[in-house]
Amino acid sequence: MNKNIVIIGGGPAGMEAASQLISLGYSPIIIEKTSSLGGHLARWDRLFPDREPAKDLLNELLVKLNGANVFYDSDIVSLNRLNDSYNVILSNGISILAQAVLIATGFNLFDARKKEEYGYGIYDKVITNADLESYFKDGFDERFNESEIKRIGFVHCVGSRDEKACNRQCSKVCCITALKQAIELKEKFPDSIIYCFYMDLRLFGRKYEDIYLSAQKDFGIRFIRGRVSEASEDIDGNVVIKAEDTLTGKPLKVTLDLLVLMAGMSANPAANKLAGMLSLAIDSDGFLQSYDNVAHIHRSRKKGIFYAGTCTGPKTLPETLSEARSAALDIHNYLKEQDSHGD
Amino acid sequence: MRERFISGYNDFVIPFMAGMIFILVYLAVALLRLIFQLPARDRKKFFLSLLNPKILLKNLRDIVCDCLLHVKIFKRNPLLGYMHASIAFGWFMLIVIGHIEVFLFTPHRAKLLYYPIFFRFFVAETNETLGGGFFFFLMDFFLLVVLSGIALAMFKRIRSRALGMRRTTKLSFMDHIGLYALWSIFPLRLLAEGFTAGISGGSFLTASINKILPAFLSDPANILPTWWAYSIALGVFFFVMPFTRYMHIPTEVMMILFRNAGLKITHPRKGVAKTHVYTCASCGLCIDACPMGAEKINIKDATVYLTRQIKRGNEKRIKEISEKCLMCGKCTAICPVGLDATGLREAQRSLIDYPLKLDFASLPEQSPQKATGKVLYFAGCMTQLTPKIHRAMAGILDASGLKWEFMDKDGGICCGRPMMITGRKDEAMKLVEKNTSLIKSSGATVLLLSCPICYKIFKEEYRLSGIRVVHHTEFIDELIANGAVSVYYDPETTFVYHDPCELGRGCGVYEEPRRVVSAAGTLVKAGKERKESICCGGSLGSITLPFERRKAITEHSLHNLVVNDPDTIVTACPLCSSTFARYSDRPVQDIAEIINERLIKS
Repeated sequence: MNKNIVIIGGGPAGMEAASQLISLGYSPIIIEKTSSLGGHLARWDRLFPDREPAKDLLNELLVKLNGANVFYDSDIVSLNRLNDSYNVILSNGISILAQAVLIATGFNLFDARKKEEYGYGIYDKVITNADLESYFKDGFDERFNESEIKRIGFVHCVGSRDEKACNRQCSKVCCITALKQAIELKEKFPDSIIYCFYMDLRLFGRKYEDIYLSAQKDFGIRFIRGRVSEASEDIDGNVVIKAEDTLTGKPLKVTLDLLVLMAGMSANPAANKLAGMLSLAIDSDGFLQSYDNVAHIHRSRKKGIFYAGTCTGPKTLPETLSEARSAALDIHNYLKEQDSHGD
Repeated sequence: MRERFISGYNDFVIPFMAGMIFILVYLAVALLRLIFQLPARDRKKFFLSLLNPKILLKNLRDIVCDCLLHVKIFKRNPLLGYMHASIAFGWFMLIVIGHIEVFLFTPHRAKLLYYPIFFRFFVAETNETLGGGFFFFLMDFFLLVVLSGIALAMFKRIRSRALGMRRTTKLSFMDHIGLYALWSIFPLRLLAEGFTAGISGGSFLTASINKILPAFLSDPANILPTWWAYSIALGVFFFVMPFTRYMHIPTEVMMILFRNAGLKITHPRKGVAKTHVYTCASCGLCIDACPMGAEKINIKDATVYLTRQIKRGNEKRIKEISEKCLMCGKCTAICPVGLDATGLREAQRSLIDYPLKLDFASLPEQSPQKATGKVLYFAGCMTQLTPKIHRAMAGILDASGLKWEFMDKDGGICCGRPMMITGRKDEAMKLVEKNTSLIKSSGATVLLLSCPICYKIFKEEYRLSGIRVVHHTEFIDELIANGAVSVYYDPETTFVYHDPCELGRGCGVYEEPRRVVSAAGTLVKAGKERKESICCGGSLGSITLPFERRKAITEHSLHNLVVNDPDTIVTACPLCSSTFARYSDRPVQDIAEIINERLIKS
């Protein structure tokens, strides 16, 4: 088939959609802005709910992708419509005429430095969920000394459900990620005390509730309902946080050896740039607006433009993968229909 | 000059006299009530101020500059200034010269209130009127001045932008009546004096009108009706004055006297507050100045509408307008009559019964920090939320070699300004007391602050005798000036400085931060700055303005800052810097950060 399909973004969504399209007989082209595939998945250690290695999933996706065209280190310079196709010009000068475009630009991890009151980037013992995954993966983090870790705090909803951080939406995955990481840390440091400061726990997925109960019962993780107002550093370089336990109505001050900020998902500006080129609608949360929010999340309102994954809002990995498959099938049907019209 | 009528009277003076007597009685009663409304201590202070020659001189200067010449409006827009000054000063001169004429030519009529006003009706020209000719010329000249002002005022109603006003006030019904009465007074006077100029004599204006008019209206029977019309216009103006914005003319004098006596708004409605409310001329300059105007929905929350609603007693709107305000003080800064809009709002807020009852019994028992002879640094809650700033301050203090202590390293007590700004003065004073005793017993000689919100209340309400209260912009400026710290200067780096409301308009600190920034790089100008700086939108002054309504304000303020495309936006308030950082397209830093990054370590 001589149809060109351009997939923008080489994360799990882009990779899965590409492999599905390959098995349908197409040769999709992935445009990846970095020098490797995998997106955020490549930086993660283990995945909820079963704590399977992220590496396994990544390898599986890569194997299925065997033979796909990938342009690395490439940005989209321009993208415009020509009758029934799109002219895509890349930063390396290559231009592609595509019959369908799949946007799979994903999300940006919220920059925790924007919540300056938590001291990320200022105090060494304040890290993010992504830093913690890297630590699990690499086995070390130069900012803190493993032998000193006795008291650990998790702050939920950093840059999520927070209008002052310009992100009103819930990032969906951080509650369960925090539980997973808390359990993992407890396993690594069995003598430590771990606190989770949350405003709500949104444990909607299958098995999530079991993990929550187990975290309390089997791992003794302490859950405190209340947002952390600020973090500071004491003379010994430990982190002192102030919070309120809203269930008892009392202010708290806790000294910690490690503070983990659950940075949420925010919209990727790259997606906004594409939306500008194609006049696609952006929703009030900054993510791309789908055709509708029930049956056609993977579709845009423009012919031949499709979405997959977190460019249309925070999603879990299984959701992202199934959406990528739906998008691939939808693209296939769309191209078939175009063909029959052409005849 | 001789008199035409032995009686010295004609019925047409009745409307004028009725209006005049009414307004004089009204003003006398109002004045007495106003003075009785003052708290006893303020009343004494006021009377004493009238005996102080220095204050008296200031009173005189302020009244001439503000009430007659409108110097402040001139500085803002010369045309708008001329419009106001021509009407106020011109009319004042007409009254003064009118009286001089009566004293010179018909001294026995000096008791009659109406005589100077209608002088030209009652006199006839004689051969030896050379002196009269001089006064006639002056009278015609000032009448022309007033008429030119009225013409501008009419033009302004159609095209306010030409006089530097983008938006102007919507007038109330009574204001319209007052406005039309005022507009008609002077053309009618011209017409009336023009008719009579053949008999009484006139100068270049009235005599010329007299020459032209007979061609159209040769019937002398029309003389009396025009004088009636002139008198009625004056009468109507005086009768409606108390119920219109023109009450600002007499009230402004009292506001100036109270202000120079050092009286502050204590009661939300009575006494000093009343003078501020009625001094508002509804000019509407505050509408364009208000940062909330970035969204059209807030236009009716400008100060001009607060004073109007207070006059009307519309409690619901008073509450809304008072609570919504960011308390940035820009309307006060540009107000031609110097109305204390933030003070007035603070006073209104004290009337609001918030369900939250405050109990400071739980204030932690803090043991005072020992800082004998040292600098005591108080970061305040806002700086605690922006640790980069107090870290930078610590870096600068360490580099300076000064001995210092961090007062609220482990948390401190609120400075009290948020309570003050919400009209909770008693609660604020409890916090002030607590902090005062902590600071005094520390033995420190200097109290250093990073947050302008704290700085304002520490300067105004704290009694810290012997301890110098200083903001870090001033302190760093001194450290650089006396060589305690040296800063790497790079002319290639450009900065713009944002004046935080509480530091600039609030405490008058404008020069020191600019000197500090200039020590690190090139300072470029913002669109509007210093006392016209635009609030960042993060102000804790507003109680009800929701977060999503503040974005437009912040963006408007940012837009004003980057007109000269600086590399970095520098400010000196932790709240401004975190607010700007949210939407800024370039780095936003506190002044302490840019200095700390560029310290030359010896």
